[in-house]
Amino acid sequence: MAAKRGTDEMRDRVVLGEFGVHNVHTTDFPGNYPGYEDAWDRRRFEEAFRVDIIREEEGALEFDMVGIDAAIANAFRRILLAEVPTMAVEKVFVYNNTSIVQDEILAHRLGLIPIRADPRLFEYRNQGDEEGTEIDTLQFQLKIKCSRNPQAAKESSDPNELYFNHKVYSKHMTWVPLGNQTDLFPDADFRPVHDDILIALLRPGQEIDVLMHCVKGIGKDHAKFSPVATASYRLLPDITLLQPIEDEAAEMLQKCFSPGVIEIQNIKGKKVARVANARLDTFSREVFRHEGLKNLVRLARVRNHYILGNY
Amino acid sequence: MVMKNPDVEFCGYCITHPSESKINFRIQTRGGLPAVEPFRKGLNDLMGVCQHVLNTFERSMKEYRAQREEEMQ
Repeated sequence: MAAKRGTDEMRDRVVLGEFGVHNVHTTDFPGNYPGYEDAWDRRRFEEAFRVDIIREEEGALEFDMVGIDAAIANAFRRILLAEVPTMAVEKVFVYNNTSIVQDEILAHRLGLIPIRADPRLFEYRNQGDEEGTEIDTLQFQLKIKCSRNPQAAKESSDPNELYFNHKVYSKHMTWVPLGNQTDLFPDADFRPVHDDILIALLRPGQEIDVLMHCVKGIGKDHAKFSPVATASYRLLPDITLLQPIEDEAAEMLQKCFSPGVIEIQNIKGKKVARVANARLDTFSREVFRHEGLKNLVRLARVRNHYILGNY
Repeated sequence: MVMKNPDVEFCGYCITHPSESKINFRIQTRGGLPAVEPFRKGLNDLMGVCQHVLNTFERSMKEYRAQREEEMQ
């Protein structure tokens, strides 16, 4: 029985020891463990696999994937970063730029602005096509001029009072439909995702007049096409107390972990520690710094439970 | 995926150069089966896995959103 428990631990937990991490690699391949059925079985995978959505917000999603191998979860992460297409500014036609920001710097900044446009509505641009057609290009215009405010107070030095339009934000970018795009997308609202991205600063007399072409691309080509700020995952923590821990040791144990992980219950007058919610822990391994506690706790991670999202 | 096939004795890959999109894949079977078969099976199984993950994810998103609608009302 102890041997079976040991192999079970080796198979589905990644153990964090004091000086290193053990059982990191996946070992459940057919033939490695006698008595275990490890050959690929589609039905077994489909029964065990599940996705739990924890939280969904405007710009963030946190969810769990349970029952999948590390290689495939990692492949999803890499694909999210590099191979999901988006629209981003590729060509900038500068008609007039008398601002202090150089043309190429301005073009670089405009390229990095995320655009709210569903890339599935557009095609990829053909190689070598310089002009762009209406099925693969989205056109934006940024035309802004800074002027002095005649009503400003004589002694004021606040640029917000003295000048009009001295800060160029992404909300000043307007969509210019090409060809039949007005008919194709009658309700569409193509604009940058965030309105308050500062592009450049101007002073009176300076102006920026550019036309931008957005194309569809993937992150592998240029990072501006990557749709995610970042996509990362961690494994579900699994904390086991090997012996009951009481009184002072329990208090010390609670301080070793992130708040909410260990809770102290009052059983028959004594304070006993219990693992309440291992998921919240960030594994600082503080417990290994205390001689009395380090052998009473086993820190591990569940090998096939992935938590993707912001923590 | 290919490693999960009991007929495969050895399986490994390496990327010859990061700038080129080329992978050297080596599969050795336990004798009898041509090595292309586990490779083909692995690719088909992988497609099945990805399709199932997509379906499960869509289903979970729909349930989560329906549940949120109910809570709001």
